[in-house]
Amino acid sequence: MSDRFWNPYLAGIALGLVLTGTFLVMGFGLGGSGAANRIAIGTAHVLIPASTEANGYFGQFVGPGKHVLDDWLVYEVLGMFLGGALSAYAAGRMRLNVGSALQIGVARRLGFALGGGVLMGVAARIARGCTSGQALTGGSVLSLGSWIFMFAVFAGGYLAAPLVRRQWQ
Amino acid sequence: MMFPLYSLGEFGREAGMVLGVLCGIAFGVVLERAGFGRASNLAAQFYGGDNRVLKVMFTGIATTATLLGLLSAVGLLDMSLVTVPETFIGPQIVGGLMLGVGFAVAGYCPGTGVVAAASGSIDGVVAYLGVMLGSLVFGLGWPQVEGFYNSGGMGSVRLDQLVGLPFSVVAFAVVGMAVGAFFGAEKLEAWLATRRGTEAPDRAPWLRNVSLGVVAAVATLALVPAMMPRAEATAPVPEAGSIDAVSLASRLVEGQRDLWIVDLRSGCTKATVPGAQCAADVDGLAPTRTLVVVKDAEQAVPAFAGRVLVLDGGYDAFRTAILTAPVLPAEPTLAQVAEYQRRAALNGYFTGSAAPAAAPVVVKKAAAGPAAKKGGGC
Repeated sequence: MSDRFWNPYLAGIALGLVLTGTFLVMGFGLGGSGAANRIAIGTAHVLIPASTEANGYFGQFVGPGKHVLDDWLVYEVLGMFLGGALSAYAAGRMRLNVGSALQIGVARRLGFALGGGVLMGVAARIARGCTSGQALTGGSVLSLGSWIFMFAVFAGGYLAAPLVRRQWQ
Repeated sequence: MMFPLYSLGEFGREAGMVLGVLCGIAFGVVLERAGFGRASNLAAQFYGGDNRVLKVMFTGIATTATLLGLLSAVGLLDMSLVTVPETFIGPQIVGGLMLGVGFAVAGYCPGTGVVAAASGSIDGVVAYLGVMLGSLVFGLGWPQVEGFYNSGGMGSVRLDQLVGLPFSVVAFAVVGMAVGAFFGAEKLEAWLATRRGTEAPDRAPWLRNVSLGVVAAVATLALVPAMMPRAEATAPVPEAGSIDAVSLASRLVEGQRDLWIVDLRSGCTKATVPGAQCAADVDGLAPTRTLVVVKDAEQAVPAFAGRVLVLDGGYDAFRTAILTAPVLPAEPTLAQVAEYQRRAALNGYFTGSAAPAAAPVVVKKAAAGPAAKKGGGC
């Protein structure tokens, strides 16, 4: 398994070129959590259609004539998965694992991943985007709210990190 | 202006979705190569020893802001058609703090969770499932959070508009700030490495210098056209144009995100165009989108800094043309059949009623252009 990643500054320039290309072609940028929202609502709609449509938030995405999964962000995240898989495979990093540098038990690691994920899912809805859609994309077009969001993310991360230090050391 | 292609109607919806997959693939490859498919690389950011997240992210932002500033300064890109996420200060502070905590706990942010999952990490799969679950939790709590979610809305506000400077000047300042942050981060890394008796990450100063030098040089170049006096800066706001009901409906079907639709009529609360907001004026709407006004004939067109289109015939025309099922003439010509099918598809889309079985058609695109041109790095 190779640990040779790109130099972070070069990776940043590559990231900037991809994002600029997206803006030039589409007129909007990249996202990471919008697809999770739509997939979750789509799943709920299949299981319990009536209650999902009756919900004030979910109802904006499902109902007559609305196709919750037919959205640019869903196709884009599908692409992200493919791109990530291609790149990891080509670099010899494709390997089934429960987390790199695992310092705590499998169950606790997955518990942390799930708990942190749920928190991020709620947070991304409240903030209207996550590190991709707000901090990176919005930050690049100099959106005021995106910059406020980005500093808040770093603040939250630094505040919580000492509490979960044992995961990584 | 040549860009952005999609907002300018250069290609249709299907091509846009294919491009979505392609943009996503490029994004996924870069994130994986940057090392963001590994939780340990990401979480390290919050312990100071390896600031890879900060470096990649700020270089990415600095590069994008610089290039957008340059392209818009030389007139290739229409920045007013580029979507800017709307600002809601309170929700974005609270959401940001929560997301930061979740990031440190999970070891991934939502997008990097996808890339981790793609490279075989079960914890990445679980983290992204968590994000989905979080969306559902948010929806279930909607009655409680709706008020806060919509509080403090300022519309699309860019930092350059806030301080009244050209985009590329503020982009240049962002590059300067990023470079400052990088030197600070490397100092911190070197100091922690000595203290912990480990090796500081990414010891390739020449690569850093070359990369940042290129970004800084382009950012400086972008300042030149932006500083030149521009004739259109004082140009009067163009007069209101008009849009007919069928064109508006077609744009709505395509999911255009560059419109504000405001219904000024008192009867708006009873029935209006799908997606329209009922309002007495258009104060507070950013001029970055085109304003579509739905009004009674005697009502005045409101003052608006951006482009304005008035819906021909108001809501009644929209109801007649779109929300009422069309009727096929007894002995139709081919053109009449085509028009009927188009109306029936639009009617079906907005009312939810299926088009009659005799005329099964898909919604016709207003701008079904040729295959998308390749532009930029996407």
